Amino acid sequence: MQQAYIQGIGCVSAQDNALFSGTVRQHEGNRLPVADPDYKQWIDIKQIRRMGRVIKMGVAASHISLEQAGVARPDAIVMGTAYGCLADTGVFLNKLVTQNEDMLTPTAFIQSTHNTVSGQIALMLGCHAYNNTFVHGAFSLENALQDSLLLLAEDPSKQILAGAVDEITDYSHNILSRFRLYKNASTQNLLQSNTHGTIAGEGAVFFVLGAEKNERSMAALTAVEMLYNPASEKETFAHIAKFLDTYGQPDLLLAGRNGDTKNDAYYAAGEEKLFAGVPVAAFKHLCGEFPTAAAFAMWMAAGVLKNGAVPAAAMFKGKAPAAPKKILIWNHGGGKHHSLILLSAC
Amino acid sequence: MADLKVQIIQQLNLQEVKPEDIGNDQPLFKEGLGLDSIDALELIVLLQQHHNIRIAKPEDGPNIFYSVRTMAEYITAEQNKTA
Repeated sequence: MQQAYIQGIGCVSAQDNALFSGTVRQHEGNRLPVADPDYKQWIDIKQIRRMGRVIKMGVAASHISLEQAGVARPDAIVMGTAYGCLADTGVFLNKLVTQNEDMLTPTAFIQSTHNTVSGQIALMLGCHAYNNTFVHGAFSLENALQDSLLLLAEDPSKQILAGAVDEITDYSHNILSRFRLYKNASTQNLLQSNTHGTIAGEGAVFFVLGAEKNERSMAALTAVEMLYNPASEKETFAHIAKFLDTYGQPDLLLAGRNGDTKNDAYYAAGEEKLFAGVPVAAFKHLCGEFPTAAAFAMWMAAGVLKNGAVPAAAMFKGKAPAAPKKILIWNHGGGKHHSLILLSAC
Repeated sequence: MADLKVQIIQQLNLQEVKPEDIGNDQPLFKEGLGLDSIDALELIVLLQQHHNIRIAKPEDGPNIFYSVRTMAEYITAEQNKTA
């Protein structure tokens, strides 16, 4: 598979870069919102008034990553989202009902489609290149990454803006809460809670990916693999074992543990069977659970590889490795969507 | 006209614009308030929702939506017709 270098990263999440110097934003509750930056530093006031929060998050993250990479206009924009622009979808559908399908305003409709974020980024950049949004549930990010790697394999000179966004709205949170997915917990105790449920999360992360290493390269995206709906734990572990045969053991496993007993049982068994002696870190107590949370994990892993140190708050098991060279992100959504993303130092 | 300015600000989500910032005769589009074609659709909906007025001739739009004053005059004229 084509390897890509991460030349820039922008992340709008519940955490910020202070995480790498040991400062963790602590939260308590069943919902972990992003720490909204001042979006006006990237978006004109006339444009911002039409943007829902998830669009602003995506635009901000994309701008930060492009600035870091020193890229004015990418050769492609590829992103993943499971929920899309939920807030504007809700506004539009509510008006549809309350106004009896009459006098519907255009703004909420225009802003309600899943590809609004990538479209808005393209509009702001004047970028008429390839633009694709993957809406594949908990595989949305991974499909966007694989598409990016294929684009780079076709043309290694390209600079790809790839990323993922998902938001929580009051409406979606209420609906998902009815499925008893969430519980009240704190950043500090979530992973040890050992009960049913987790905390909801959201975030936007964008990467500039290139095939050639340069002075701005932070980490290499070495591999992305997915396993959908394995029939058994045995099948899952066989898939991961094959992956490890190809790429070797990582210096750090970044697992998608979220404090839910059933969810974390996969990781506990896998860590014991496949990752003996490998230190384990986690990320969902820092960003919450959402279908594209692995993008936050990538941001964290790239930061760790660049800085050469694992934030103490991220460690779950074992001793934090000094200057890790390979970090494997193993994430799963409901036991159905397993993904493996390998990042390497460069 | 003060009420109409509040309605415009709310309908278009004009953040950080206050009613007193909008001149009665200031052009709403382009060099004035800087509105665009999507805003024009929002203003048409505003007339329907708040004043129960449907614009019969779309070609009149540029004159009706030139400024707050022209909008207010159009609303008054339409309301007088139905009174």
